[in-house]
Amino acid sequence: ANDDCSKMLLNRCSGCIAVRKSLNSRNISKLLHSCPHRCDHHKIIVEAEDKYKSEVRKSFICNKKILLTPRRRQLRIES
Amino acid sequence: MFRGQRGWFCGSVGQDLRQLWVAEGGTVCDVQAADFLFSCDASHPDTLRIYQSLDYIEDNATVFHAYYLYAVANAEMKTSVALGHFILPPASVQKEIRRKVGGFIWEQDKYFQIEKHDEL
Ligand SMILES: [Zn+2]
Repeated sequence: ANDDCSKMLLNRCSGCIAVRKSLNSRNISKLLHSCPHRCDHHKIIVEAEDKYKSEVRKSFICNKKILLTPRRRQLRIES
Repeated sequence: MFRGQRGWFCGSVGQDLRQLWVAEGGTVCDVQAADFLFSCDASHPDTLRIYQSLDYIEDNATVFHAYYLYAVANAEMKTSVALGHFILPPASVQKEIRRKVGGFIWEQDKYFQIEKHDEL
């Protein structure tokens, strides 16, 4: 299993192993989506998450829980 | 390492990991204000709430496995730990990913000194 792990790391692209101090929960998803050389692992994570997200989005629309109008998010208010 | 960063912790994250965050200069806050979202369990209700949020589906809220903090604490070069390896997707997504590419780094226990978590 440890071999699998190092292999997993070796085969990953620059987007995946990006080390940037500014990277966090709010921007990493956009980085992974915009990364031009998606490695397999990366592609699979992004695609699988996107599929999940589109299902949640659908259920939102069905339940009319939230109006999915403008894509622009409200600015988070700094506390 | 995390000076000035705000972190939110799911109820599934042990006290020791929260302490690592604070020791590295991070502060703990609520979901809305957080720069980092940490969880140890994708099925925990706190984390599920994120997966069902608008922020998440609009790519504004990625959850990380809190073992990232162990990895940082144990790394010689703290900034060399790639955050991307610690993405914690919803349980159903994990299943699909495991089927296609095998495991996640945070499942490789040997990389983390697993201390006892509060099992509450
Ligand atoms: Zn990649």
